[in-house]
Amino acid sequence: MPIEGRHISYRYPNAAGEVFADLNFRMDGPGFHALFGPSGVGKTTLAKMLSGTIRGFEGTIADDGVRRVLYTYNLERLPGWSNVRAHFEEIAPLAGRRRMEELIETFGMEANVGSRFHRLSLGQQNRANLIRYLLQDFDLLIMDESLANVDEFTREKIILKVKILFPDRCFLYISHNVAEVAKFCSQVLVLRSRSRSPQLVAVQGCDHRESAESDPGLLERAMLEIVHAA
Amino acid sequence: MLHRRIYQFLIIYAIGLGLLLALKYGLNLSDYVIPSPDEIVRTCRTYGGPYLLAVLNTLAVAVLGHILSICLATVVAVIGRLTAWIGSFIRTAAYNIQAYPIVAVAPIIFILLGDGLQSRLLIAAMICYFPLLLSFIGVFSEPIREIEHFYESTGRMTWRLQVKIRAFENIQKLTTVIVGSATMAMVGTIVAEFIAATAGIGYSIRIALYQSDLAKILVALFLIGVGTSLYLVSLEWAGNALQKRLKSL
Repeated sequence: MPIEGRHISYRYPNAAGEVFADLNFRMDGPGFHALFGPSGVGKTTLAKMLSGTIRGFEGTIADDGVRRVLYTYNLERLPGWSNVRAHFEEIAPLAGRRRMEELIETFGMEANVGSRFHRLSLGQQNRANLIRYLLQDFDLLIMDESLANVDEFTREKIILKVKILFPDRCFLYISHNVAEVAKFCSQVLVLRSRSRSPQLVAVQGCDHRESAESDPGLLERAMLEIVHAA
Repeated sequence: MLHRRIYQFLIIYAIGLGLLLALKYGLNLSDYVIPSPDEIVRTCRTYGGPYLLAVLNTLAVAVLGHILSICLATVVAVIGRLTAWIGSFIRTAAYNIQAYPIVAVAPIIFILLGDGLQSRLLIAAMICYFPLLLSFIGVFSEPIREIEHFYESTGRMTWRLQVKIRAFENIQKLTTVIVGSATMAMVGTIVAEFIAATAGIGYSIRIALYQSDLAKILVALFLIGVGTSLYLVSLEWAGNALQKRLKSL
């Protein structure tokens, strides 16, 4: 299920300049991909276009076979009237209860799911939010800084587990962490400022998996390419 | 221990009464104009009981009118949040109607409905309804994006859930508005009774005014103040208890 954007141009209503002008990109198939770039270049805007929140732009996004796109961001909150576990149980399909427990364990949330969302730390809140999205039916999940405030070790554990649990799904991970996107993502879409052409450059990432040995040389090269492209 | 609302009222009442008596003795006014402390105490002993019943009668109507306007404001605000233009229309209409003195419409209500319970109830509800409506529309029309996004994007959002989220997130604001409008309900009821009703403390004040009996009016004001303070205290207590319960769950 490739996702391909062609000749995309967009300007926010009443904004002076365009966010995108003739932007082209392609994401090949399922896997863990990244959208990388400095703040303000339009990563969230592009994510919202992919999820259908922003419409009325010029150009096309072809996503044959992608039925459901979900977009999640790191400032989301769970309602405060029940604890995190009760909320998960409410929104998880009955068949997905085992997966729910698995995710709670992988995300290191066993001790926290009995608490209200507002009592959790920022990192725990982001993990709880991501779990509920992973319990939904989706083809493409866009994770906009979804693992912000989570320590490096847990982040790595989560990404690797997600790759194992959802091999047939597509993820678009938005992050400012070069090393992370270079190491874990198969394709890194580097979004650049409007003045540069092309506005988006695709770089091959290492797509590191749990069982595989990581190649430091390959990682370094991918990081350099990303930094150079940005 | 007296709640701060009650002792605040007692302090203000005592200051007001003290100023009146200072005026009386400073300008050497007769007991007919401003009654002496003895006269006020005597009036309190004679009319305290009947006036207390009248205040309770007024309070009951005010509470009913208040509940009525809360329910109505909730329903209209929930409908008003459906589309931007309905919400905008209701908000504009409420602003305009609120600017019009409801008390001026009271005689029409008495002519149409008579001087019974319905008229008092309707005027009490109308006076506190529009401020409640404006606040409720504001609360129920404002999306809580960081919570609602998940339900919207997964297709789980229902109108009940949306109302629940917005009410829960704004519970403190809603409580404050409800407590604030309680005074208006009480004022509305007293004004309605004063204009044309045949029961309640407003009616008693009207009779006292015809008799030029300031002592009776002072006793009535004291009981109104205590009654209103108690109602506000109860509402604040209920609001705090609700908020505490929601937070501790």
